[in-house]
Amino acid sequence: MWIGLALIILLLFVSVYGAFIGAARAQSFIKRLPLMVYWSAFLMMLIAALAVFRRLVRVPGLLLMHLGCVFILAGSMWASESGHKFQKKLFGIDKITTGQMIIHEGHSDNCVILKDNKQIKELMELKELPFSVELKDFQIEYYKPAYLYVQTRDGQGWKIPVETGAEFPLGPELGTVKILRTFENFKITIKEGSRTIIDDPQPGFNPALEVQITSPDGQVTTKYVFERFGGHSHTEDKFLLSYRRVISDYISRLRIIEDERIAAEKDIEVNHPLSFGGYHFYQHSYDAEAGQYTVLMVVSNTGLAVVYAGYWMLCIGVFWHMWLRHIVAIKIKTYNKTVTLSAAKSLLSCSKQ
Amino acid sequence: MEIKYTIQGLLIYATIAAYLCAFVITLLRRAKTGHILYLFGFAIAVFSFGYRWYHVRHVPLQNLFEVFLCLGMICYPVLLFCRRILRVGGYSTDMLIGAIVLFPAGFVFNGEPQQLPPALQSWLFTPHVAVYMLSYIFMAKATFQAISQLAGKGPDANENLLGPEQATYRIICVGFPLLTLGLVLGSYWGKKAWGDYWGWDPKELWGLASWLVYVGYFHFRYMFGKKHPRINSFWAIAGMVVIIVTLLWVNLSRLFPGLHSYAT
Ligand code: HEM
Repeated sequence: MWIGLALIILLLFVSVYGAFIGAARAQSFIKRLPLMVYWSAFLMMLIAALAVFRRLVRVPGLLLMHLGCVFILAGSMWASESGHKFQKKLFGIDKITTGQMIIHEGHSDNCVILKDNKQIKELMELKELPFSVELKDFQIEYYKPAYLYVQTRDGQGWKIPVETGAEFPLGPELGTVKILRTFENFKITIKEGSRTIIDDPQPGFNPALEVQITSPDGQVTTKYVFERFGGHSHTEDKFLLSYRRVISDYISRLRIIEDERIAAEKDIEVNHPLSFGGYHFYQHSYDAEAGQYTVLMVVSNTGLAVVYAGYWMLCIGVFWHMWLRHIVAIKIKTYNKTVTLSAAKSLLSCSKQ
Repeated sequence: MEIKYTIQGLLIYATIAAYLCAFVITLLRRAKTGHILYLFGFAIAVFSFGYRWYHVRHVPLQNLFEVFLCLGMICYPVLLFCRRILRVGGYSTDMLIGAIVLFPAGFVFNGEPQQLPPALQSWLFTPHVAVYMLSYIFMAKATFQAISQLAGKGPDANENLLGPEQATYRIICVGFPLLTLGLVLGSYWGKKAWGDYWGWDPKELWGLASWLVYVGYFHFRYMFGKKHPRINSFWAIAGMVVIIVTLLWVNLSRLFPGLHSYAT
């Protein structure tokens, strides 16, 4: 059992070390051989403990807890990159562990960019899914209202809800601010020498505000404030203006096409992935320049059911062992007490008669 | 350090004042008045949490300000449970725990309301955080008991309360399932939101480390607990230290870049 305690302490130190080096390095660290050996040793130790210590099997809470950990470890190892390679070698199951798909609106694709090589485009390794994923539409939704932030050089600031036509006073020394127009895709077109500002319906993404500033002496200036290119100001400007919207949701409207027919359909969002054909599809990223494509993360579901079964066992085991069995014991004790008490009472009343 | 001249700020300060008064009055052996003041502080804390909820229009557990606000509210029922059901002493320090956890909300963290980013819009948001907060208060109480054991203090024999070592174990037995559930719910949520049930993110790893300290505590206590009861208490204190790091350091320091950074 002391080996078990030593393994737990070792994992504790590994976790703290992993936290110091950041998620990306920790992820590659745990894939290294010593850690693989460690996971296997931990798993074997748990199984050995279950075989050796009879109490671990006889006490249901302890059994569920330890067996739950066995399931979680075994499921994660089965689901890992090496687990997938092992399954390919042994059973010929060739599944993508994890990767990404870039799909343009109105197009379908079945190519998955394998995760490991995503930084080096020339070496990008592609693999095909046995079905295609079509992106009907990609949408970004924002919280309403959006805000215009106004800041003076001496640090005074205002947060103004964006409402076209509404005038906002900044005080007697600074004048007023009024939002005249909002743009989803701000563009300047030059036709026959004259400049026009339009909200371009063509693909593109350049949200902006047209803002009118009226100084206390009646002088009117018009400014354009861009969401994506904020923070610029001239030395003569009294204010620094910025336009900020908070994203409330990303939605990819997806369709799965298999054998030229629609096999599944779902609008995926963060927290609402699509599950199909042994894979999960997650909203991962998007085209920040023009909102024209979505980036999906594709993850194999191999081993997931085993891990979740382990989670259930662990939780039920811990709650049973530390909470419920004591509550049940107290309930039985009080029930027995009342039964004995009432039996004694009836005995007493019988003997009186 | 920042003083908040808002209704929210005033409610927090009023709660801290009530908890501190309750603490002092209980020390002066006016237990009944102390309890009434503690209850009064709890009532303000509930109102304060409700006010924040109304103000931000989602369950206020998004950032450290809101989390500490919640801790300041739940400490009263949790600690009352420890006293009445688990038969654990140290009643006056309970009031101090309330004031301590509200201090960062009142003076350190920014209370500016924020909108929920897409990743936090999930039914798992409230149970995951709430379960963790509950377990943290239990573990804080266990730590105070562990410190009492190391300091050689215990309840009076006529009080019918558990000794500090036994009390530490009993409280950890109540808090540990909640800590486990928090970890499992977080992992399940990570799978739904980011596609991976374990991302090796610093917050996740500190969360795992705090869970492992308590797993270590159980095994150590089972093996050597009778021979070295003082070391059991060191395990319990170490658990709290790692919990504090999990809760604060990861968010505050720029040392650990990770997915949970929106919790600042
Ligand atoms: C290599 C790993 C492990 C070994 C060899 C091991 C072995 C044991 C043994 C022999 C007991 C004593 C059972 C008894 O008679 O009461 C025990 C208790 C326990 N184990 Fe483990 N265990 C391991 C890992 C874990 C893990 C990962 C957990 C996490 C849930 C865990 C949770 C517990 C708990 C909560 C107890 C009860 C302690 C108490 O009653 O105070 N163990 N373990």
